[in-house]
Amino acid sequence: MSTRPVAIVGIGQTNHKSKRWDVSLGGLVREAAFRALEDAEMEWSDIDAVVLGKAPDLFEGIMKPELYLSDALGATGKPMFRVHTAGSVGGTTGIVASHLVAAGRHKRVLAVGYQKQSEGNAQFALGSGQGASMGAGGAFAPYMRGYIHRSGAPEDIGPMVAVKDRQNALKNPYAHLKIENISIEQVKASPMMWDPIRYLESCPSSDGACAVVLTDEEGGKAAAAAGRTPAWVLATAVRSEPFQFPGRDPVRPAGAVDCATDVYRQAGITNPREQLDCAELYVPFSWYEPMWLEAHLIAEEGQGWKMVEAGDTALTGSFPVNMSGGVLSSNPIGASGLLRFAEAALQVRGMAGEHQVEEANVAVAQAYGAAAQYYAMWVVANSLDPFGS
Amino acid sequence: MSRTRNDDIAVIGWSVSPMERHTAKSETQMLLEVVSGAVDDAGITRADVDFTCAGSCDYVAGVPFSFVQNTDAIGAWPPKSDSHVEMDGAWALYESWVRLLLGDMDIALAMGSGRSSTSDPAILYPMEMDPFYLAPLGADHANLSAMQARTLIDSGMLTERQMAEIAVRTRRDAKSNPLAQVSGDFDVEELLAADYVNAPLRLHDMPPITDGACAVVIARADKARELCENPVWITGFAHYTELHNPGMRDLRSSTAATLAAKAAGVDEAPIEVAELQASFTHEEPLLVEAMGLGPEVSVNPSGGPLAANPIMATGLVRVVEAARQIRVHGRHRTLAHSSSGPCLQQNLVCIMEGD
Amino acid sequence: MRTSHERGIAEVTITVESTIKFPYKRSLGPVIGPFMTALAEQRFIAIRSGSRVICPPLEWDPETAAELPRDFVDVGPAGTVCTWSWVSRPTEQHPLDRPFAFALIKLDGADTALTHVVDVESIDQMSTGMRVAPRWRAERLGHITDVEAFVPGEEAITVNGGVPGEPVTMMSYDASITYKIPVSDNTIKAHEATAQGRLVGLKCPVCERIYARDRGFCPIDTVELTDDHEVELPQRGVVTSYTIITPVQYPGQTETEPFSRVMVLIDEIDVVMMYQPLVDVPVEDVRIGMRVAVVWASEAEKADAGRPGNLVGWMPTGEPDNTDPSLANRIM
Repeated sequence: MSTRPVAIVGIGQTNHKSKRWDVSLGGLVREAAFRALEDAEMEWSDIDAVVLGKAPDLFEGIMKPELYLSDALGATGKPMFRVHTAGSVGGTTGIVASHLVAAGRHKRVLAVGYQKQSEGNAQFALGSGQGASMGAGGAFAPYMRGYIHRSGAPEDIGPMVAVKDRQNALKNPYAHLKIENISIEQVKASPMMWDPIRYLESCPSSDGACAVVLTDEEGGKAAAAAGRTPAWVLATAVRSEPFQFPGRDPVRPAGAVDCATDVYRQAGITNPREQLDCAELYVPFSWYEPMWLEAHLIAEEGQGWKMVEAGDTALTGSFPVNMSGGVLSSNPIGASGLLRFAEAALQVRGMAGEHQVEEANVAVAQAYGAAAQYYAMWVVANSLDPFGS
Repeated sequence: MSRTRNDDIAVIGWSVSPMERHTAKSETQMLLEVVSGAVDDAGITRADVDFTCAGSCDYVAGVPFSFVQNTDAIGAWPPKSDSHVEMDGAWALYESWVRLLLGDMDIALAMGSGRSSTSDPAILYPMEMDPFYLAPLGADHANLSAMQARTLIDSGMLTERQMAEIAVRTRRDAKSNPLAQVSGDFDVEELLAADYVNAPLRLHDMPPITDGACAVVIARADKARELCENPVWITGFAHYTELHNPGMRDLRSSTAATLAAKAAGVDEAPIEVAELQASFTHEEPLLVEAMGLGPEVSVNPSGGPLAANPIMATGLVRVVEAARQIRVHGRHRTLAHSSSGPCLQQNLVCIMEGD
Repeated sequence: MRTSHERGIAEVTITVESTIKFPYKRSLGPVIGPFMTALAEQRFIAIRSGSRVICPPLEWDPETAAELPRDFVDVGPAGTVCTWSWVSRPTEQHPLDRPFAFALIKLDGADTALTHVVDVESIDQMSTGMRVAPRWRAERLGHITDVEAFVPGEEAITVNGGVPGEPVTMMSYDASITYKIPVSDNTIKAHEATAQGRLVGLKCPVCERIYARDRGFCPIDTVELTDDHEVELPQRGVVTSYTIITPVQYPGQTETEPFSRVMVLIDEIDVVMMYQPLVDVPVEDVRIGMRVAVVWASEAEKADAGRPGNLVGWMPTGEPDNTDPSLANRIM
């Protein structure tokens, strides 16, 4: 095997908002990168390579923005790599960066994801400028209705997720949406946007960025010795499947199941619910929490909503999900996947502040994209051998 | 020389689509054909491929998430470990190569595709430039490259005649390349008599507009030996970028190309053939100098991007042409180069060797 | 959208023309903002990075990425042309509508070059090393084109008026790119079929799955689907899932009232048509299991060129609902 251990030693993100008009595009990505470098106790010159992820260039009207942002992100005289795997791109960004270290190509890699949605209009771009664009909500709503129909889940499950994630966001200083005293009644009273999804069950449109510094075993051990716990990347996996064919199941997609199976196998996880301490899942619409708990094998099929109903996925529950407030609270699309991956790492490093899960030793993060057909996952832990194998 | 280390990775198959000014085919259709061609060439099926990575660009396609429908071409059922870069297919090959270095997968397939014919490059490419200082002026690649060409001319490094001679040579070489879009015998004087398009660039200094796609199969050593009689080993692979704004760079050279060539091991043994993504005539001597390639190196025997320039696949085609020199023409060590951004901002070098 | 005939190398291809046009708004931040504000005031500013003076200014040193103190310095207004190129045929995006030069201009006092245009009557008037100065636009917004062009000489051509009262913090960028995208044979055939009131699909010769007539490929078997694979589809089916969309207003939006989109599993044959419109069904009546049939356009509606093909949508048949619980598994 050629794989070398990879440690996450720096994490940074912007204060996400609907309009970050106080900063330029370069300033936005640098705000996240500075925080990651500071966390890692590194300078720009310590970084060997940069990986940049973002969703469609049409959203901001800048083609291949990795070119413009090369010098903003300290990549002058270094490799700069750009990935784009739709909504899962932030996850893919972290994974590609980890592979550069794992393969021994570089010692220290900076992964950055961003979106500055306020500069354009996502729904316009999704519809290629045509009328009657359904938006992402309209595209996913029939899948969520399928889940509700199949699982027999009560109507309140979606609103419960919406409330729980917004409550978590109140504990996250970087989160975009801060809705004090949000209630299930308030969520249910909000306008129905893409039936069965209400306004308050949907993600916001955010400006924001996320940055992660990954390093090799030596760098990880040095950080640990200095009292800065690293997050070790135990496993990564990606899967893609066709957007449509007769019989394709977008509610429990094979790609999601395969991706989870692969990442758990590599990490030595046989019982995800027991061996994982928490999860950050890409939930842009409330019903995706129970759907992904099932499709990523944390809950049995048809049982995911029961975890929500029982409060298991709350910050103080037996299996916390989306401690950061999730995509439902902040959605700078190109960064959203990396924010999930970063939050999992923050948790196992014990650095999540008010939204810290107690004794979080092993965590999983996930991102998905397009017609629920691209998946990226990683499992991180605060030791290289968390299960004492 | 015989290889035993399983960490070595080789090119074992490829396919390049026809290079056309306009294709009626969709990107997916072009990819379907080149992926089929590449796996056939490697003696495998799509199911044998452990990892796929595509390079394409939404703005070239004119649709957001344009790569999503291209998933139809790769055979992603059962679901596939797969990725996509908004870069030339040469970088998709780089990601595929890194993925195989991890050791748990044996075969990967990289793709690049684009239909440049669907829009006007002069309108499209300003979108790639600094959004505050360059894009609003409508500065495209040709406008900025022409200024780089003049810098070389003013520095006494190059003449317009030498640029025309490069065009004549590449078009002549392209006659033996069945995939070339621009080829033939031309006279330097006649070319120099033509009007400027973007002075000091004339039409012959610039690449054609091309629709096309390319796919390359790579494998780890044991699998490559099992599948292929003459694998083409990737012995060095690196890419670097420079700062973006051409007004802040020394346009007489390309430090990113120098760094990439060095990191890929250009100095370690003689290079016989270099396939460079020199999209404008003046870029060829600049890159040759930046990479330290001597006069003995045969440059762009395929005709290079001046003969066919399928944006988002042009760099990956260079890898194929450099690999072809080893597999078909018996060369031992060749170099492929790809570039992106204004005035050669970003550069990638892949060095390959035969057994 | 409109179709046109474009002559290709070997054949005549039908293309569809579409324009991506959107007014982007960019925030300028703490360095580009003051530079643009200075432009509105007919001044150039640069930023210091150590001993270097960088113009146009950046928030960071472009070599090291170090954050630069906001140490601005006036430069220009005249400068020297480091290199240039001649644009014989300007595009609509260029600042000038007649032949002009692009130039890298090192403004007096700066160590890096600003890219801009030089307005001279002919290429013969251009030379490397020539001295140029800005001709300012009368209406200045705080935008790089507040300099209309540079002109030969040492003296800036200044004008009165047009200065924004406030510091400039935002800029607009109007992108408009027109694409001519070839229309596939399968798409043409799909339109022809609907024009004839036929619902057709393409059947994969390997796995026998059926796809929309314009799909072109079976992604499972990666085979191309062509006319040979066309199959007629029954024009009735059942709703397996749906959504009701409250339209969000954005540039180009055409809808104002909530509208439904349904997934229809076609009778007798294994194919789902996704995100189909319903006709004359109040949104509160839409449900899984509802039996529906195709509605074709009337002759009058056919004249409406905006509608893709002549399939208007689907209408309830009035039959009893299908109560099979497994229907919900057939979203696709």
